[in-house]
Amino acid sequence: MILRRMEPQTESAVEVARQAGFDLSLVDLNLALSYEERVLQHAAVLEFALELAAAGAAFYAQSAPVAEPTR
Amino acid sequence: MHNLHQLLNRLADAGVDFVVVGGFAGVIHGSALVTQDVDVCAVLSAENVEKIRGALADINPVHRQTHRLLSFLEHPAPGQALVNLYLKTDRGVIDILSSILGIGDYERLRQRAISLPLFGRTFAVISIEDLIVAKEAVGREKDLLAAKELRAIAAKRNLRPAD
Repeated sequence: MILRRMEPQTESAVEVARQAGFDLSLVDLNLALSYEERVLQHAAVLEFALELAAAGAAFYAQSAPVAEPTR
Repeated sequence: MHNLHQLLNRLADAGVDFVVVGGFAGVIHGSALVTQDVDVCAVLSAENVEKIRGALADINPVHRQTHRLLSFLEHPAPGQALVNLYLKTDRGVIDILSSILGIGDYERLRQRAISLPLFGRTFAVISIEDLIVAKEAVGREKDLLAAKELRAIAAKRNLRPAD
């Protein structure tokens, strides 16, 4: 297996992303997937995120303080 | 269920020519960022708008940026010029743009797009180089951040094992 030489520009782009807070191990995992697998994984994550958001909205709607009647 | 790629299948089934752009294109290129919508670039001719209406007719498409969530099936009236469509449907959110900042209109984008196999068909997807240009041209903080990840992905692709 031959790896191409890392160019300074390459090293810089990876480092810039890392310093911006990206966990590039997640990118590595994605790059190991097929295009279809990336789309399906994204769909599953989005679905979970939307379910969490809905659960959070329901929780805060239930626990919202009831307004006192105006005197 | 928000399977955004099913929205793409609907457009393709209806005979709409488009290029996948935005965060969803980023996902296809390997981004780990999650997006809630799918963006495509297409010519918003009267003929194409009718095709898009047909493609989305049974999933309640509405103009999500209008106060009363006007139905896309009724607005705009036929023949009225459109630049962009920002729609919400029962299957997810889709934006249909007639041009991409930093790149140009559909024709220019299509010439530079790459063709990728997805779910038994071939989709035109903005190249990662153009996606970086577009994100940086928009210039919002979230887009600049996404561009940094995309630049890292482009760099990492150059490090993958040679055949």
